[in-house]
Amino acid sequence: MLKGSFSAELDTEVRNRKILVFISCVLFAFLILSGRLFYLQYIRYEENYQNSENNRQRKVVLKAERGSIFDRTGKVLVRNRPSYQVVISARELKDKDSVFARLLNIRDAAGERVFDSATVDTAFQRSRWIRNRPLRILEDASPEQAALIEERAMDLPGVMTVVESRREYPYETMAAHVFGYTGELSEEELKKEEYQSYSLGDRLGKKGLEQQYEEEFRGRDGMKYVEVNAYGREVGLIQGMETQEAIPGHHLITTLDFDIQAAAEAAFPDSMRGAVVALDPRTGEILAMVSAPRLDPNIFSLRRRERNKGWAQVALDTTHPLTNRAISGVYPPASVFKLVSAGAGLEYGFVRPTTHMSKPCTGGYQFGSRYQRCWGTHGSLDLVNALRLSCDTYFYQLGLLMGMEPINEFGRRFGLGSVLGVDIPGERSGWLPDSVSFNARNKRSGWRWTRGLILNLSIGQGQLVTPLQEAALVGGIATGKGVYEPHLMKEIRDVDHELVMRYIPSKVHQGEMKPETHQMLLDAMDSVVNHPGGTGRRAALPGIRVGGKSGSGEWKKGEKTHAWFVSVAPLDNPQIAVATVIEAAGGGGAQAAPVCRKVMEAYFKKYPAVKEVQP
Amino acid sequence: MKNSVRLLDNTTKIDWFFLLLVFVLMGCGLALVYSATMNSSEEWIKSYWFRQALHFAAGTLIAFLFVFVKIDYWKKIAFPFYFVVLLSLIYTTFGGGTTTNGAERWIDLGFFRMQPSEFAKIAFLLALSSWLSKHRVSLSQPKTLIVPMLIFIFPFLLVLKQPDLSTALVFTSVTLVSLFWAGFSLRELFLFVSPALSVLLSFSYIPYNQFFWGLLIVMVGILLFKMRFPVKLSVILVCLNLIAGYADDLVWNSLEDHQKERVDTFLDPMKDPRGVGYQVIQSRVAIGSGGMLGKGFGNGTQTNLSFLPEEHTDFIFSVLGEQFGFVGCVFILGLYFLFLWRGISICWLHSDRFVNLVVASACTIFLFHIVVNIAMTLGMMPVTGLPLPFLSYGGSFVFTCMMLVGLLMNMRYHGDELDVNYK
Repeated sequence: MLKGSFSAELDTEVRNRKILVFISCVLFAFLILSGRLFYLQYIRYEENYQNSENNRQRKVVLKAERGSIFDRTGKVLVRNRPSYQVVISARELKDKDSVFARLLNIRDAAGERVFDSATVDTAFQRSRWIRNRPLRILEDASPEQAALIEERAMDLPGVMTVVESRREYPYETMAAHVFGYTGELSEEELKKEEYQSYSLGDRLGKKGLEQQYEEEFRGRDGMKYVEVNAYGREVGLIQGMETQEAIPGHHLITTLDFDIQAAAEAAFPDSMRGAVVALDPRTGEILAMVSAPRLDPNIFSLRRRERNKGWAQVALDTTHPLTNRAISGVYPPASVFKLVSAGAGLEYGFVRPTTHMSKPCTGGYQFGSRYQRCWGTHGSLDLVNALRLSCDTYFYQLGLLMGMEPINEFGRRFGLGSVLGVDIPGERSGWLPDSVSFNARNKRSGWRWTRGLILNLSIGQGQLVTPLQEAALVGGIATGKGVYEPHLMKEIRDVDHELVMRYIPSKVHQGEMKPETHQMLLDAMDSVVNHPGGTGRRAALPGIRVGGKSGSGEWKKGEKTHAWFVSVAPLDNPQIAVATVIEAAGGGGAQAAPVCRKVMEAYFKKYPAVKEVQP
Repeated sequence: MKNSVRLLDNTTKIDWFFLLLVFVLMGCGLALVYSATMNSSEEWIKSYWFRQALHFAAGTLIAFLFVFVKIDYWKKIAFPFYFVVLLSLIYTTFGGGTTTNGAERWIDLGFFRMQPSEFAKIAFLLALSSWLSKHRVSLSQPKTLIVPMLIFIFPFLLVLKQPDLSTALVFTSVTLVSLFWAGFSLRELFLFVSPALSVLLSFSYIPYNQFFWGLLIVMVGILLFKMRFPVKLSVILVCLNLIAGYADDLVWNSLEDHQKERVDTFLDPMKDPRGVGYQVIQSRVAIGSGGMLGKGFGNGTQTNLSFLPEEHTDFIFSVLGEQFGFVGCVFILGLYFLFLWRGISICWLHSDRFVNLVVASACTIFLFHIVVNIAMTLGMMPVTGLPLPFLSYGGSFVFTCMMLVGLLMNMRYHGDELDVNYK
């Protein structure tokens, strides 16, 4: 091409070649694209298809509804409430920065921020490596907050509200120690073998019935396969993938009676510490169980911050509200134990009901160089009157006469010194000391068994018993037909209230004794309540023959005594046995007996006393 | 040509087969936009497919208006139009107009949001073609390249600044093809782009980049020697290549953040599977899951469940791939091939330089869009944001395409009037 020889017309041959070059380029490019298409759509088809399916398919766990707890008449005591959780799903979370900003800008009607920036930030950080499960950014949101999130759903890809069910205790502190509470499984716990069937975020029963009957309450989680869109929202079920419905947990019908429990709770204000146990001595059914100070198990269903606050409050409380004093609190049985001492004396033939001791009560008893005091001056008494007036001097001598072995043996017949097997965890066995176990226990401190200890032990200072054991003891003595395993589970029913399981009472201690012994102990308990001068007159009920025994346990010099009262009614055919202990309250007859009376009152208002039917 | 079917007759003034192809492609586009957006709850009058249909109708009208313009008129308005577009580009680049997504810039005209970079494609095409049709270019005489390079460099830099890398690359490809058509041989073209290739090869992302670069330098040397290039020029070219070979950092730093990110994620989409890489992965999965025959119209799970981002605009090809599979994709590629073939065939009819240049440039714009967009959806190229002609949703781009179609038809219709000048 020379300079100047420029024509507006192209050389045909050159032009044709260029057109061919252009068309070859097009062909070449399209062939490469087709090759790539072939690779993606034919060779890698399976993999890509699977990816697209995985994109839209999610396995959703259908949480089983936890079973509720009812009282023996069918009144609901513990139930579930819906609880909204706001979660983020890492797989759907796009454009984290703007979602983060939007979340923090959400304010409720009061102008308060709904989300806590630290919590959300942590969850966002964690979402980088935890991609297969949702992470919670707001726990137990109010319905108003949940609605706020749902309204903005389209602006918040990957943010969802899910409904969980949480425990609700409508009567708050009532029988809280019996029910226990539920708590979320921690990640550490989840690694353990026994929690293999749980998944993260599951709540399980801790303490009380919630723990004991966890397997029954739990039910079985179901599963469904859903199609989701890119925002992680469900658009429908996937055909061909079967849905496994969740099987709701079983309901528990407790032996508790709402009215009796309420009466016991009312009779035992939170200002007092101690416990009340009422049971049916014929079957071992626990009708009421109170432990004070109380706690409100609802705090364990709150969101984390409030939960921790409530938890700290009860855990650090020096009065130990977390302890169920009815089964885990051990106290010296005090004068109540005189029933055992007297029973042992009769059973082994050391004394008869009319036996007087060698020394009358002059306000105390001289043992060697020690003068052991009595709480009053009673003169010379027979056994029945000694029990009625709770004369220490009489029992010092009775104890010395027998030694500890017959006393402890008689006590064991009614389950003292061992666990009774109540169906909530935490029961303690108490302690019936004799020379061997005393020396074994005090090995380290070097204290040795001396005969002088019998003086204290024979009036119940030194043993350890739980209120539950005391109730079982008095019930067993009154019926004379042995001690039944105390229990709280009456029936287990499925979600449609069809019977699944019924508790069959079982005798755990024979409680055998001679008829004379039985009769004498009945007379003594009768006289404690119904005779003038009896220590338990405040437990008397009009028209019903109530038996009982008071006790005032010394536990610390200079402090008021623990007030004990055990009662049983009606004496001729016992239907209810009640044990009350009030810590550091004073005399048992004055302080604890009215509590027992109120409980029995509530019982007989509902269930009339029946005359014993002779076979 | 006696035996050829009337439809394919190259002597007709209007290429009915070409027009048919355009309408078939438009129909496919409407169907795909409909299926991509069928989930939105808008009423039909506001829906994407209906608006797209309106765009097509208006575009067709423009195309038919273009057909009847005298070719001389194009030459006359080429430069004024070019300068007007340049001014509006300057206006939008330096702060004017409104932006969406950080990249596309608009001038809101009230009834229509104009995207100057779209019109710049046409203005640039006309201006360059009009200059090159009157002036000779040769690589051995660099002076002849000054004006074409000036025409190229202003809009190029302006859209690059916006930043709109893809449109800038459209200008580049059009310039190269125009130079080729205007007289460059393939060898000259190779020498001309060799510095740019050097820059590309300086990036260590490309496997064996040092080796290829060495090969390039050697080839440049051999070509320069064989073509008996002037010594001075040869030295400059080789030096340029050598310098360019070490320019990777410089170029890399001049890229905008989102462009770097896109290149990064192109190289490794899994790096950010929720961000930019997300689009690439989802698009690949969508196409791949279509298989041979596809999931059927309206059954694309990726599309319907909105896993695909911008599915109705830049990623419309994945919608096609998912629903119609390999067969559907190859069918559309076939349509595009026929379309480009009928387009470039206009050059067979006329030997006028301007006509040839306009036709070749217009076809290049189409080809570049088609190849880059499809390659992007297939995960072969970085996500650039170039739409697919006739299939992608978008007003400005539909108008650009239809103007180009109008230009092509116009060249065929009026080209022979110029031919008589030379006979």
